[in-house]
Amino acid sequence: MEITPYQLLAPLVSLIAVAYAWNLFFRKKKTLWEVILWTAFWGLIAWIALYPDSIDYLTAVTGIQSRENAVMVTFLGILFFIVFYLIIRLESLEQRQTRFIRKIALRDAGLLDDKKSMEKDEDL
Amino acid sequence: MKIVAVIPAYNEGERVGAVVKDALRFVETVVVVDDGSSDETARYAIEAGAILVQHPENCGAGAATMTGIDAARALGADAIVTLDADEQHNPDDIPAMIAPIRDGTADIAFANRFGRRNSIPLIRRTFNAIGNVITFVATGKWVSDSQCGFKALGPKAVKEIDLKMSGYEFCTEIVREAAQHRWKIAQIPAKVIYSEYTLAKGQSFAGGVKTALRILLRSFLR
Repeated sequence: MEITPYQLLAPLVSLIAVAYAWNLFFRKKKTLWEVILWTAFWGLIAWIALYPDSIDYLTAVTGIQSRENAVMVTFLGILFFIVFYLIIRLESLEQRQTRFIRKIALRDAGLLDDKKSMEKDEDL
Repeated sequence: MKIVAVIPAYNEGERVGAVVKDALRFVETVVVVDDGSSDETARYAIEAGAILVQHPENCGAGAATMTGIDAARALGADAIVTLDADEQHNPDDIPAMIAPIRDGTADIAFANRFGRRNSIPLIRRTFNAIGNVITFVATGKWVSDSQCGFKALGPKAVKEIDLKMSGYEFCTEIVREAAQHRWKIAQIPAKVIYSEYTLAKGQSFAGGVKTALRILLRSFLR
């Protein structure tokens, strides 16, 4: 079997992503369910890279058969990922703004626990 | 056990007063979080006997709920009951919601509007079923009425809960918190009162789709 650089790179990236997900799980930032979904997703990516013939049915259904098409779909996937990443960053900014508003509200009501609030800020 | 009711409210001036008075029959303290309302919500809440926390801007139901939980913690709450400000939930159900918390059989109690005879429109039942499925996919926990705002949190949940989602997604996030912290869950049949007003105030279809996408995206890229 002839191995292409992509077939080496994709499983490697998948392995890193899976290791990162499990690391988040052990740091209690991901639930077991989420880490299983994450592992399944990256496992699938690695599997398809190593055994491209396993998605023959999919290529027949979608019409993505030539290499040119595959490259285009890959880049579309990357674009999607960038958009998702930007959405997440925007959400993160929105969360910071919300936390700021919540803090003002609690402070105005005389109910802000400054110590806990600072601990949460450090967690971010 | 000190029980505090948390009521997030946005432009509920006409209804919040009655909800506060009803809730005060069952709990010591009621906290109303006015989520940047442009009407008289704040004034009616205070007149009815609630402690008011006011967001200077509208942040969403999740953010208002978390502000209320923080306020309740600062007030020394051992248990927290959250309920909607639009008279959709019946405060008479509070004792039943608190019962599993008191006897230590649950860390969190979810109201279940489908656990008893309630007149719920088909469209609402459908949306709730979709919400339950999405919640299950995102968290791995099945809750029969995951999108209901009526909940009771016990001491462990009060201490550990940390909601980050601002909008209606917070209902799913609470289930995720329950899964992550391994809280014991109870599901209590509860009455729901749908009026034209409450039906009109619910999420639109587009809003529901947006909420669903945010839940799935967040749980995947967290």
